[in-house]
Amino acid sequence: MGLGTEASSVAETALLANPLREGTRVRKTPAPCSIVIFGASGDLTERKLIPALYYLAREHLLPVSFTVTGCAKSPYTTETFREKARQAVQSHLKIPASEAPFLESFAQSLFYISDDFGDVKAYSLLDSMLDRFDRERGTGGNRLFYLATPPSFFPVIVQHLGRAGLAKTRDPEKNWTRIIIEKPFGRDHASAQELNRTVTSVFDEEQVFRIDHYLGKETVQNLLVFRFANGIYEPIWNRRYIDQVQIAVAESLGVENRGAYYEEAGLLRDMIQNHVLQLLSLVAMEPPARFAGTAVRDEKAKVLRAIRPIPPDAVNDLAVRGQYGEGFAGGKKVSAYRSEPKVSPSSVTETYAALKLFIDNWRWADVPFYLRSGKRLAKRVSEITVQFRSVPHLMFRDAIEDIIEPNVMSLRIQPNEGIAVRFGAKLPGPAMRIRPVQMEFRYGESFGAPPPTAYETLLLDCMLGDNTLFNRDDAVELAWELVMPILDRWKNDGERDLAFYEAGSWGPAEADRLLQRDGRRWQRL
Amino acid sequence: MVAPLQPVLESPREVDVEELEAELSALWRSAAEGASGQRVVTRACALTLLVSVESEDAAWEVSNLIGDVTRQNPCRAIIMASEPLARPGGINAWISAHCHLPVEGEKQVCSEQVAVVARGDSVRALPNVVLPLVIPGLPIYLWWRAPRFEPEPYYEDILRVTDRVLIDSGRFPHPALDLPRLTERAREAGIRMGFSDLNWVRMTPWRELIAQCFDPSELRPYLARVKKVTVEYEKTSPRRSAQEAQAWLLAAWLGSRMNWDPAEPATEASDASRTWIFNSTDGRVEVRLVPREFVGGGEGMCFNITLEAAGDPPARFSLKRGPEGICVTTQCAVEGREPVSRNVRLEVLEEIEVVNDELKYLGRNRVFEQTLAMLGRMAGL
Repeated sequence: MGLGTEASSVAETALLANPLREGTRVRKTPAPCSIVIFGASGDLTERKLIPALYYLAREHLLPVSFTVTGCAKSPYTTETFREKARQAVQSHLKIPASEAPFLESFAQSLFYISDDFGDVKAYSLLDSMLDRFDRERGTGGNRLFYLATPPSFFPVIVQHLGRAGLAKTRDPEKNWTRIIIEKPFGRDHASAQELNRTVTSVFDEEQVFRIDHYLGKETVQNLLVFRFANGIYEPIWNRRYIDQVQIAVAESLGVENRGAYYEEAGLLRDMIQNHVLQLLSLVAMEPPARFAGTAVRDEKAKVLRAIRPIPPDAVNDLAVRGQYGEGFAGGKKVSAYRSEPKVSPSSVTETYAALKLFIDNWRWADVPFYLRSGKRLAKRVSEITVQFRSVPHLMFRDAIEDIIEPNVMSLRIQPNEGIAVRFGAKLPGPAMRIRPVQMEFRYGESFGAPPPTAYETLLLDCMLGDNTLFNRDDAVELAWELVMPILDRWKNDGERDLAFYEAGSWGPAEADRLLQRDGRRWQRL
Repeated sequence: MVAPLQPVLESPREVDVEELEAELSALWRSAAEGASGQRVVTRACALTLLVSVESEDAAWEVSNLIGDVTRQNPCRAIIMASEPLARPGGINAWISAHCHLPVEGEKQVCSEQVAVVARGDSVRALPNVVLPLVIPGLPIYLWWRAPRFEPEPYYEDILRVTDRVLIDSGRFPHPALDLPRLTERAREAGIRMGFSDLNWVRMTPWRELIAQCFDPSELRPYLARVKKVTVEYEKTSPRRSAQEAQAWLLAAWLGSRMNWDPAEPATEASDASRTWIFNSTDGRVEVRLVPREFVGGGEGMCFNITLEAAGDPPARFSLKRGPEGICVTTQCAVEGREPVSRNVRLEVLEEIEVVNDELKYLGRNRVFEQTLAMLGRMAGL
């Protein structure tokens, strides 16, 4: 769940007026609403959205009155859509037979419109259907539109929602209308700007929730708690004490059946421009004045704005790209990227990227931020490591032969979420010998309950009007602006400087050299 | 591959009471290394959990539950059994550890447990044995597992350092008498510590569902116009007294949230139902708690709540536990309109699940305290 809400949230204010909701134990549930999913016959709806909505309904985290209307071209009926939803829940949540009454109750809230939503005519039927839900099912005039279609449909759906009058909030004192837009938000800076222009010409920015499911992960949210709810870290969280920061998002899987998408996207667009830069902004931002959407998002945007741009002629000094070749994953031989289905045999798409960035502000001046992400790496792990400076004077220099490792704090995002601190300790015995030891905290060990999934968290936050964990227009554009010189240079360079690495390794040697030039090395993950 | 646990961790070992601290340290030293010299367990602790029970047998019973607590709330658990009438007097103590493997192939995570059994006059020495064992700097919870919350004077020192007391009104033999007594206890505790009633916590989902009925802005006005509340609970269930206590708490919660004023003492009918009349800003409200037979319901599963509200048109809000046990049907019915119904999941939580949940909270729960205060007024205190 997001960490804060804006005081202006109409729905929130309305809920607080219910005296039975006083006290922290009664969980917040959103005001009654209608959810409309565009792209309802697609993979995202089946794998993520329907299971997440079912979970929320089953745990009575959704309001009594809510409906989900699926919109897509596929010639389903409402009953077909309900059946598909039942199957999706069964297959992705593996629910026991005893849950049949909840599943059925949930299914009765689902509806479907089969039409071409590229055509404005389809929206009048949707409009009248939503009106009917308000009258007959008490959905209260609140609307949540979810764009789960391929990105090329985003502008047209947004424009038609505007033309049909569906983007407007009926009575801003009582109701809300919101839209969730899936990533990728644009495929370059210009298209992101264009999409932002289209979206904000129809919706107010407060109505727009750009989703990055990475931000819904419990540990990512905990970064804010770790940094700003504990007094001991903030005083040392700056250039005086920190030598470097590394952010790694490694995947052991290849592109699987997403070859066609990946050929268009590449790793920089797929991971760095969004997930990794989001992590960077959370690690580096200044303390927000309060845990509310605007305050947190302002600070994140300031970080992105302060990142030193990479000039085209410096791309090869500050960025490395790679592509996986044949190798082994999980003990089995796996093929090279160029041999994956729907991938060109001469593809120059990067499946690995490493960057060196600087944040030009007082806190982080001259502290390098090394980012890396890749497919088919040695293991699946996402981790932020903060390496502290060595002590200014080593009093043990003459007494010991051991190399003293600097202190490192690791924030593990996945798997086995947790925090570890490495420090030096004396080995027992008469001699003065120092060894690095690790002090660890693991979520799984301290909090037994499994956290909700990112989609459950983010859907609920959106319905509650909490946009803290969603991207704002300026942050999206700033992130694109930052990666554009790299994308342009790589596009122009073709295969030149594309480094190949063995599947199942830790990426190309060129990425190691990026750090070796600075006398540093990647942290072992 | 993780090395198996050493036997000392698995089964309780009797130790000298005066050497408890040293014995606990020795326990971890021996557990810290496996045969290969490799570290195989991690000791985890987020709080001290004191558990008060009435006998040695009850201590071993609760000992079996502690393992489920430590999975979610790593802690030092200290079980305190007092048998003041037992002879001869004396104190015995055992130490052990509860371990689990959070992630396959990783280290085991262990929490320690101390069981202290005091007999005869030695019960007065319990605080002296227990207090040095609480972990400094971490919250202290006292889980009071006896049927009534009536601590003997020698518990005073323990209560003074306790952050939160967990009682269970579901174990009260006579809720109509014991709940008002708890009201007084909570008042005496004042700002010193928080109180949790596990039976109240079991009702949280019900309170959530009732609150949700009035979230739609067009239905909110009905809340102030509620005229009749009926809470039905199982007449013949072995958990009848627990359910009766829940019905009292629910009525008191509604009364306190809505600022209702008890107008008359309760009347008790021949079917053992109780009726209160409250004054509200919109007139009189009748609240009835009715024990009745449920057909087809699982044991301890049935519980129905109905709120009837005046208005034009009038409305009726109901929550009904289904025969499947974990299913509740909620219905909001405004006369002349299609009722809005849905089924949601509502599992009967095991005692240990409720304890685990409660151990995540510190401090006072004002809504519960206000509910107890209203309950006191309903009982004529």
